[in-house]
Amino acid sequence: MTTRFLDPNVLGRISNLELLARTVVDGFINGLHHSPYFGLSVDFAEHRPYMPGDDIRRVDWRVFGRTDRFYVKEFEADTNANFLVLFDVSSSMQYGSGAITKLDYGRYLAACLSYFSRRQRDRVGIVTFAEDIVEFVPSSAKHLEMVLHTIDRIEAGGPGGLEAPLLKVAESVRRRSLLVLISDLYEEPDTVMRALDRLRHKGNDLIVFHLLDPAEIEFPFDETAPFEDLETAERIPVVPETLREEYRTLMRGHLGTLTERMNRSQIDYCQVDIAKPLDHVLRDYLSRRERLRRVR
Amino acid sequence: MNLMFLAPLFLAGAAAIAIPILVHLTHRERRETVKFPSLMFLRRVPFRTVRRQRIRHWPLLLLRVAAIALVATAFARPLWDRGTIGPATLGSAREVVVLLDRSYSMGYGDRWAQASTAAHQTIDGIAPDDRVTLVLFTDHAEAVNLPTADRDALHAIVDRTRPSSAGTRFGPALELVRDILDASDLPRREAVLITDFQRHGWDAQVDVRMPEGTAITPIDVGAADASNVAVAGVLFDQSREAARPRLTLSARIVNPGPTASIGRTVRLEIEGQAVQQRTVDLPAGSAETVRFDPAPLPDRPTRGIVRLDPDDLPEDDVFRFTVSPPRPVPIVVVRHPSAPANDLLYLRQALALGSDPAFDIRVRSATQLASADLDGIGMVVLFDAPYPRGAVGRTLDRFVRDGGGLLVLLGPRTGDGMWTGETTASLGTVSGQITDRLGGRGGTVSVLDYSHPVFEPFGAPRSGDFSTARFFRYRQYEAPVGATVLARFDDGAPALVEIRVGDGAVMVWTSDATNRWNDLPLQPIFLPFVHQAARHLAGYRPRPAFHVAGRVVDIGTHLSDRPWGPRQRPDTEAELVLETPSGGRDVLGPTEAGRPVALGESGFYVVRPLAAGAGVETAVLAVNPDVAEADLERLDPEQLLGAIAPRGGGAERAASLAAALTPVEKERRQGLWWYLVGGALLLLLAETGLASRLSRLAS
Repeated sequence: MTTRFLDPNVLGRISNLELLARTVVDGFINGLHHSPYFGLSVDFAEHRPYMPGDDIRRVDWRVFGRTDRFYVKEFEADTNANFLVLFDVSSSMQYGSGAITKLDYGRYLAACLSYFSRRQRDRVGIVTFAEDIVEFVPSSAKHLEMVLHTIDRIEAGGPGGLEAPLLKVAESVRRRSLLVLISDLYEEPDTVMRALDRLRHKGNDLIVFHLLDPAEIEFPFDETAPFEDLETAERIPVVPETLREEYRTLMRGHLGTLTERMNRSQIDYCQVDIAKPLDHVLRDYLSRRERLRRVR
Repeated sequence: MNLMFLAPLFLAGAAAIAIPILVHLTHRERRETVKFPSLMFLRRVPFRTVRRQRIRHWPLLLLRVAAIALVATAFARPLWDRGTIGPATLGSAREVVVLLDRSYSMGYGDRWAQASTAAHQTIDGIAPDDRVTLVLFTDHAEAVNLPTADRDALHAIVDRTRPSSAGTRFGPALELVRDILDASDLPRREAVLITDFQRHGWDAQVDVRMPEGTAITPIDVGAADASNVAVAGVLFDQSREAARPRLTLSARIVNPGPTASIGRTVRLEIEGQAVQQRTVDLPAGSAETVRFDPAPLPDRPTRGIVRLDPDDLPEDDVFRFTVSPPRPVPIVVVRHPSAPANDLLYLRQALALGSDPAFDIRVRSATQLASADLDGIGMVVLFDAPYPRGAVGRTLDRFVRDGGGLLVLLGPRTGDGMWTGETTASLGTVSGQITDRLGGRGGTVSVLDYSHPVFEPFGAPRSGDFSTARFFRYRQYEAPVGATVLARFDDGAPALVEIRVGDGAVMVWTSDATNRWNDLPLQPIFLPFVHQAARHLAGYRPRPAFHVAGRVVDIGTHLSDRPWGPRQRPDTEAELVLETPSGGRDVLGPTEAGRPVALGESGFYVVRPLAAGAGVETAVLAVNPDVAEADLERLDPEQLLGAIAPRGGGAERAASLAAALTPVEKERRQGLWWYLVGGALLLLLAETGLASRLSRLAS
């Protein structure tokens, strides 16, 4: 029953992203990661008067100096890590040969992962980018709704590019974070790895969801037609049957290179067929990640 | 051997081949753009692979192109233009015409049996591709079937055919054969002539050549020493003894054969009873006249036969005739009450001398004339008398309109008051003025219409001279519109005028007939002129005593004296029944041309009204075979064949046919376009199947 609702086409009809994320995530046991910090929370919530029995280490001495009264710091909750979604919203993400586009699929995926992370008490944030950063919601324990709202408002547009926006992300993310990149990765593998390595070298844990429409892999087109690049609007006449095999070869080479390079850089790399149910993708990925964690 | 096209412009239709090529080049190339995430991989494919080899589904394209090419070629009507045409094109089919002589001479001995057997054998020899036309001929020819290879039908026709009573004429038959063979498109032509080759049937002046390549096969069923004696005709002489008509008959017997015929018996039969008999000896190639004793003639139409002992050709051993008692034509002559009786002398005497027909003259004074006097008469003469008035005048009007004749002889007593008011407009105007030419030698008749029946006998040289008569006085007469002036005086004044009134006729003679105004009654021409005018106005038409088989006659002439018959125009009367000698019955309706009947059989034809009861007096027509056919002298078949043989030989036929064949004919014979269209249909069927399969695979 649940699986039926996790079909991307069905999910597409659920407008509330939180509900969507909950629908998908509920039932998963394992988290995305082990928290790098133990028992500490960093998100301040409020002050309250000191009560006997309180840990005197939590007394805010600055407030005592100003008011001559003992106040204890209250924190929102305990958190484990920063979780930041890097969402590619270039025009190429608008493509979808079926009922759902890569953008929508990525939107559901980002919502699910954010929700999932929040349930693990992670601080969640999101960066949407195309050629440059479009929106930036810093990771915070209170930013889930903002993140979902941002995801909801995403509109694809403009040419894409990984290097420039990810460089800015690398510069702005100061704490070690769990970075989830959702993109179709229409860049040369060298460019992709150069951008990702900058993030990874700062100690961030990097997960890459490579969204692929089945038509991008199989190139099933039959009719001769002009093909238009969604990002550059460039057009070329294409006779699919004469190109198909070469296209597939090139695509397979591209995916193989990315897989090989990602593995070499110890980046979790997951190719996602957007025709498959979202929970299957999540489950496959989490089980694989579980195996990798044991190995590491 | 070249490939030609009758309609090469249709080859332009092959340009339609471009359509499937374009379709296959552009087929499924959508105008709308396919949006794709990135062209980074497509750009890496070399450009040539995008532009080249755009044609899809080569087998389908080839099928379509081939189908269009075949259809375009078929419409262009291709043909092989060969120097010589082989049997494959010409074939071996024959156009056969079987000419079967059915003249009555074929009834001699076993000739008809031989001819029938030969016809059956010819029919048995035809191939399925042959076409046979059976032409039966006598003195005329008739193709009795359309060209066919149906042997049973042809055998049935031959079995039904019997010799007729008509004579032989090869000319019409050979012309019909030539026309049939000329129209044939079959490669071989053949004429089979089955006849006894009678010489009299061939007219050497007839130029009939069979079409080139025609093979003529003569089948001679005649015999060189055939002898035949025939009754060639009869002559009548009617006389009266003690007011009883008697008939003296002479029969002419001929023996044209090479063998003398001795002691032949000739019998005269009247109404089926042999009344007299004679014996005659006939040397070879001779003729004798047999005279029978005078015999009383019944007072009704009578059938008679002159019969010879039958020989090998019995058809012409019997000669039939009919004879009728003379029936005078009643004529009423109306004279002026004040006219002396001897005024009628010349006219009365002239009419009284008539024998063919005799005239029954009834003289009435204009004041004594009654309507009853006009019943059953053939003609009325107004002899210098005014037109009757009152009831009698109306009766006379009706008499004329119903087909009667009126002769008006003007004279000193007929002037302004000649006509009644009603008749003035229709009969012209008689002036009170008299043209008087007593001062000179008198006038003459200078213009005559010799085409009119009254003057026709006088048209030939030395057949009568009207110019000898002198006319000193005549009435000035203005003919009505539509009248025909048959004779004019030398001053242009009308002498004789005919006016058609209804079905009858009125003739106006503007001078008198008393030898006072002219001396015509004293001229030799007067008697025949009066007789001709009386015959014409009385509507008299002589009835032949016998007819020749094969002729067409108007039987109306035989019915004029019948109570139920037409008076002058048979087409106004009711339907008649014609009983043929063989027992057949035909119903005859009136036609524009009277009542024409083809007398195909010899014997007695009987005519009676369709609605008549028993005891009605019928009309009888005696019909005899053509006596010319009695001469069985043979014609050398080679002579006839030489006259009709085609100028080109059979071997030249194919070559001439090849040369003569028009491209259209060659194309029609070869029929290549059928194969092309058939091939195109097969290709299109295959295309349909392949296209469906590809469509299913694509979907």
